[in-house]
Amino acid sequence: MIDAFYEGLLLVLQWKTLAFMSLGIVLGFWVGLLPGLGGATTLALMLPFIYTMQPVQAFAFLLGMHAVVATTGDITSVLFGVPGEGTSAATILDGHAMAKKGEAGRALGAALTSSLVGAIVGAFALALAVPVVRPVVLTFGSPELFMLAIVGLAFIASLSSQGGRGMLRGFLAGGLGLLCATVGQDPQAGVARFTFDALYLWQGLELVPVLVGIFAIPEIVGLVVRRTSIAGAVPAGKLNQGAWEGVKDTFRHFWLTIRCSLIGTFIGIMPGMGGAIAQWMAYGHATQSARNAEERKGFGAGDVRGVLGPGAANNSKEGGALIPTVAFGVPGSSAMAILLGGFFLLGLVPGPDMLTTHLSVTFSMVWTIVLANIITVLVCFAFLNKLAKLTAVRGALLIPVILVLVFIGSYTATNHYGDILVMLLFGGIGYLMVLGGWPRAPFVLGLVLGKIAENYLYISIARYEAAWLTRPVVLVLMALTLGVVLYPLYQSRRAGVKKAAHA
Amino acid sequence: MRIRLALIAALAALPLAAAAQSPYAGKTVTIVVGYKAGGGYDRTARLLARHLPKHIPGNPTIIVQNMPGANSVIAANHVYSVAKPDGLTVGTFNRNLPLAQLLKVGGVKFDMTKFAWIGSAASESTILAIRSDLPYRTLEDLKKADKTVIIGATGPGANTYDFPLLLKELLGLNLKIVSGYSSSSDIMLAIERKEVDGRAGSFSSIRSFIDRKLVHAVVRARASEPGIEQLPVDENLAPNARAKAVMALRSAPEVVGRPYVMTPGTPQAQVAMMRQAFVKAINDAELQAEAKKAKMNMEFVPGDEALKVMQEVLGQPQDVIDEFRKYVKFGE
Repeated sequence: MIDAFYEGLLLVLQWKTLAFMSLGIVLGFWVGLLPGLGGATTLALMLPFIYTMQPVQAFAFLLGMHAVVATTGDITSVLFGVPGEGTSAATILDGHAMAKKGEAGRALGAALTSSLVGAIVGAFALALAVPVVRPVVLTFGSPELFMLAIVGLAFIASLSSQGGRGMLRGFLAGGLGLLCATVGQDPQAGVARFTFDALYLWQGLELVPVLVGIFAIPEIVGLVVRRTSIAGAVPAGKLNQGAWEGVKDTFRHFWLTIRCSLIGTFIGIMPGMGGAIAQWMAYGHATQSARNAEERKGFGAGDVRGVLGPGAANNSKEGGALIPTVAFGVPGSSAMAILLGGFFLLGLVPGPDMLTTHLSVTFSMVWTIVLANIITVLVCFAFLNKLAKLTAVRGALLIPVILVLVFIGSYTATNHYGDILVMLLFGGIGYLMVLGGWPRAPFVLGLVLGKIAENYLYISIARYEAAWLTRPVVLVLMALTLGVVLYPLYQSRRAGVKKAAHA
Repeated sequence: MRIRLALIAALAALPLAAAAQSPYAGKTVTIVVGYKAGGGYDRTARLLARHLPKHIPGNPTIIVQNMPGANSVIAANHVYSVAKPDGLTVGTFNRNLPLAQLLKVGGVKFDMTKFAWIGSAASESTILAIRSDLPYRTLEDLKKADKTVIIGATGPGANTYDFPLLLKELLGLNLKIVSGYSSSSDIMLAIERKEVDGRAGSFSSIRSFIDRKLVHAVVRARASEPGIEQLPVDENLAPNARAKAVMALRSAPEVVGRPYVMTPGTPQAQVAMMRQAFVKAINDAELQAEAKKAKMNMEFVPGDEALKVMQEVLGQPQDVIDEFRKYVKFGE
């Protein structure tokens, strides 16, 4: 076991493998920065190039590229509030808020360092989990996956502002998200729901245009209205520092970063949960770390913990997502599905063998993710503070560029004008939500979890009838759901008691 | 010296002259794929895009454009009526589109028989595979099953759903179909954790799991592939003519598993060139080697045969269509 772990590292450290990995990193870097041009599409485009490579080299190339996409996607999220990837939207909430306060450098530093910690923790968690990973994954049947989606939805309680009114708004926004998730042909009866006779809507709403619209458009409108730069009143000289502060933040909140990394790894391992969910659950968990109502209000207004959580989960989930792909031949995401195609090209058969005879190859993949992240983060640090200065550029100059990113990013989802309409529509909804003080995070959570919850509930009932309710893991997850929902109540109660004691 | 130079120049110009006559010289051909990058249709198209140019006179550049949405109805509408019939657009779509046309699905603006058919790059056979630890080794065992056998599926319109549905409804197999899995590999995992007892799907997507002895195939549809010829065929077991017609109708498009067409009205000469190129490219040893590595089975079905299948599907009597509609919806 430990031998294979070590051997995997040696496999990656050969110069040819490293060279291919670097090439992948350079490619992935740009793909991550450009919104919309997703990691999955790029992987598909690069697949033909691996024919002549050795397996370890090929995976170093593909995974090096893929690992970096998740990391650099955070950069546009922080700087412009435009999600660079569907999986880096949660970083916007606090990351971009920090940029507006003139702390872009610090936010970027925190996002990248937590990404790095996430990747490393994810890798080691996997290494430890290899002996038990097959039984663990097999324990999670449809009922358990449904309950996991419910736990995710319960995080709405943490993502909403406190008090009855805040909770009500949070859950209503979540409900709207669930409703939006039902658009399209349903998989049980084949009925077209809310498609308004538009072919475009058959497959449901595309996540990227919705996310870009709901997060980026309000920011752009805000920037126009303010008539300043993103960082507003902060003097440009001050922006030249801060990245190091972000690194320190990561270690200041080290346990939170570790916990969020583990959440990411776990969600990554669960096949069918999808990449977008991990970071939102991590964000929800990060908000739970607020010690009092005052601190809780800081989330969404630029609390660095809101950057650390999703940053860490975003990268640790990549290691996790390898597991179902490698061990079962069942990809956890579309990018992994393409990677699976790579397996066949290289003559490897995914399956239990990858955890025994080919374990060192599996570990070489994990190491690739770790090394690619280390390299990217080091390279990025060279010019993070310069990037941060972009937030001092006058809005009028920046907006055209951001708009191009927004439009192209949305359009690349399916290359259909419907993508643009969806982006604009949700841009409008997003703007109204910001104006009215409605939280956007619960909406997104509802949207990304809606399909999973619906389908797994149907399967659970069709397969087990009522018996699924008594499965042990389901019961544990139910308790966890209650815990997640009640925790904010407990927190405010405790804060109240303390106040009373002081009085 | 001068003569030699002139000779060389003339020789060099020869292939150029031939190429200049080709309508494809210096042009870019776009293959429009009705799905996102990474799936089976997309991978086939990208493999062809790499190998086709050297077999087309004039050696055009070939690019792949993904136009996903509405189970590729959007892409088919585009190639049918938006693209110019200049031979520079090739489309590859969901093989079930003729069924969408037959069932008069809203939004369908094409006629499958009017496309300029190149042919099909592969046939896809659907099989039903059952978990190997269950006592059902053959279809006979399955028929005698006293316990309901649970089949995982993605959703109506997909072969994971429709194929077992007809086995259940028309052959009376004791199956229960549980749908909603997000992909066929998700169903595979459900099989592994024994949540479901089996699944239907294209042989190519199940093959590696058969090799791993996780499942084994018990029955197939009409289209065959090396390795499953011996399996019983669903429509041969039909109790009556109408049931047979319904099953035949469902599996007919599978012979044209990876359809390739051009815009109606494309000049005959260009269609012929493209057909030639497909035949040569698919029989190319290099392409076959790559396909084998990627576990894809590439086999050319000529355009007129594909067209015949379309006509067969679309020429069904109304009572068969009505019966078919009871079971099958268009999807995936």
